[in-house]
Amino acid sequence: MSARWRLALLQAAAPVLSIAFGGLVASGIIVAIGKNPLDVYGLMLRFSLTRTDSLAAILLKATPLIFAGLAVALAFRAGVWNIGVEGQYYVGAFAAAFVGFSVRGVPAVVHLPLAVAVGGAAGALWAFVPIALKLRRGAHEVITTIMMNYIAAAVVLYLLADVFRDPTQIGTPRVRTPLFADSARLPPLGPALAWLGFDVPAHSALNWFLPVGVVLCAVAAYLLVRTRFGYEVRAVAFNPDAAEAAGISLDRVRFTMFLASGAIAGLVGLSDILGFFGYFDIDFPKGLGFLGISVALLARNHPLGVVPAALLFGLLDRGAQGVQVFAGVPREVITILQAVIILAIVVGYELVTRYVRVQRKLEAERALAPGEPAPLPGSG
Amino acid sequence: MKHVAGRAAAFWVAALVVLVVSACARPAATPPPPAQPKLRIGMVYDVGGRGDLSFNDMAYAGLSRAAQEFGDRVEVKDLEPAAGGENREELLRLLAGEKYDLILGIGFLFTDSITRVAKDFPGVKFAIVDGFIDKEPNVASLLFSEHEGSFLVGAAAALKSKTGRIGFVGGMRIPLIEKFEAGYIAGAKYINPSIEVFSDYAGTTGEAFRDPVKGRELATAQYDRGADIIYHASGGTGIGVFEAAVAKGKLAIGVDADQSLTARPEQRGQILTSMMKRVDVAVYETIKALVEGRFQAGVRTFGLAEGGVGYAVNDHNRAQMQDITARLDELRQQIIAGTIKVPSDRTQLEAFLTTLKK
Repeated sequence: MSARWRLALLQAAAPVLSIAFGGLVASGIIVAIGKNPLDVYGLMLRFSLTRTDSLAAILLKATPLIFAGLAVALAFRAGVWNIGVEGQYYVGAFAAAFVGFSVRGVPAVVHLPLAVAVGGAAGALWAFVPIALKLRRGAHEVITTIMMNYIAAAVVLYLLADVFRDPTQIGTPRVRTPLFADSARLPPLGPALAWLGFDVPAHSALNWFLPVGVVLCAVAAYLLVRTRFGYEVRAVAFNPDAAEAAGISLDRVRFTMFLASGAIAGLVGLSDILGFFGYFDIDFPKGLGFLGISVALLARNHPLGVVPAALLFGLLDRGAQGVQVFAGVPREVITILQAVIILAIVVGYELVTRYVRVQRKLEAERALAPGEPAPLPGSG
Repeated sequence: MKHVAGRAAAFWVAALVVLVVSACARPAATPPPPAQPKLRIGMVYDVGGRGDLSFNDMAYAGLSRAAQEFGDRVEVKDLEPAAGGENREELLRLLAGEKYDLILGIGFLFTDSITRVAKDFPGVKFAIVDGFIDKEPNVASLLFSEHEGSFLVGAAAALKSKTGRIGFVGGMRIPLIEKFEAGYIAGAKYINPSIEVFSDYAGTTGEAFRDPVKGRELATAQYDRGADIIYHASGGTGIGVFEAAVAKGKLAIGVDADQSLTARPEQRGQILTSMMKRVDVAVYETIKALVEGRFQAGVRTFGLAEGGVGYAVNDHNRAQMQDITARLDELRQQIIAGTIKVPSDRTQLEAFLTTLKK
């Protein structure tokens, strides 16, 4: 019995152990550049966790990643790959930006939800093409979503630079849309957090999209675990053939999940453009869609796991800035460090999980009467 | 079962050993901050960071020259933003929060970030290269007259071209790069109104500044159409232009830094000259002004007259440039004197070209 408890504990501690493993592997790199890993990690944690501006920065950085991670995870959950979150969020962000600067004179209660809805719809529309191609024509979604990413980047840049560029900026190097109406701006989260006793610095762009993202993750988790549709999704992912034989429409499940993934992808950029910039420009943050794949991987595609995974990315990012400014570690090393830590966490997690699985198997074998052949083959 | 557990135990023991060893490997070597008040100068690079052999490296050159010259009076720190550049504002804010005296942002992408941070830290001085901020009392905008330098290399290309056709390869299609193009075309047509100028851009995103494959493709196409000299204003993409020049045995003109000096040996002979945009001069002059207590906010333009732009003559191209330097210097004087008004965008270029045809 105690062995079983030990294994359960080990499994529960797996994420922590794998983070420690990641830190350990990365230590090698820090030693190689002639710094003390404990100093660097200590500085990283102190800088990230003891300053309010750092905490706000981590939460802000995590906000779009929660959406991106959730979008990727939802598609993976139905056994389809959405590598197109990157493109879907460009399109969604631009669509929301369009609503932001073109609609004037409506109250915020109408304008803001409209911008968010249009952003989500545009993301879903961009996801519609690859999933329709897959279900109708059998085109592999990995290829089509990647291609749609390129199209999205080019279309958005065309619309930005040649159609909707703010005319007052012509003659300057600035290429951006007109400013959004105030009614389309996401309200800051600062006042609410201050009421809770956490004083966010005034410059922080932390906004209400953070709780929205967390709630979305919770809703997604509930739907997947507690509803009939969620059961179908799990069945489809686990064994498509069996699910189909049981009367579940594979196409319907995949289509719905992929569109949901696209719609959430459409919201990825909104925290930045509606909550911070107030315009859409060529310097719009890119790459969040691909980061979302890492976040989903780290969260093992669980909607609730997405939140801590996104926070970890936020922490690594903020910590990296601290290390760069105060410990003089060059940016390249930090980028390598981040990648190694993430890689090591994934590998470490896998190691612990496998170890637990093997131990369980052995436990089961031992539970059988001696002399009987072990029924479990070592495939797995 | 035993050996599995044993292996796992061995793994964690090994892990612990590595951790302890790494912890002892190097004792903490962080010196306490010096007590004497030095001027602290921070710099945040543009996307791409150090090692681009042009824009950012020029900024670094200016910073290190200042660090060397005012060694005991300044303390410098340079930072690279994340790959997409999205954390540049946080880096600026960190430096400002640490009470740096002067913070430089390299590149026009810093415009909004510096405007915001400068408002929050009125006691800190800021400078931006290539960006236009004229409303903040603590920000100096360091701009260049790229069109004037481009005019001279355009004239050089026209003087040197045998085919009567030359080319231009731009990076990202933005007004800043169109300024290079306008000056170049104006200079070429000023020398030879019937010269044909091909013009292509590598793209509409930041990617267009680091796409040597595309640069090579565009340059090869222009050479095939008869161009014998191509001017590039495209950052890392220009490496492809130089490769095409080597492959076709034609000439190319570099940009920002004196690219003959940093190019590969086989490319040096193909680089006619480079349009120098002296970011290093601007950075150095700004730091110098701070050290001497005469830092001024506001817009400062570095043109031909200020030595902010120009064309490069070095050991590799001296022989090739010899017969035209006199003419180029004459044009230079005319631009400084204002007798030639170099156009800086498309509309001005059209107007400029009509004055030539009379």
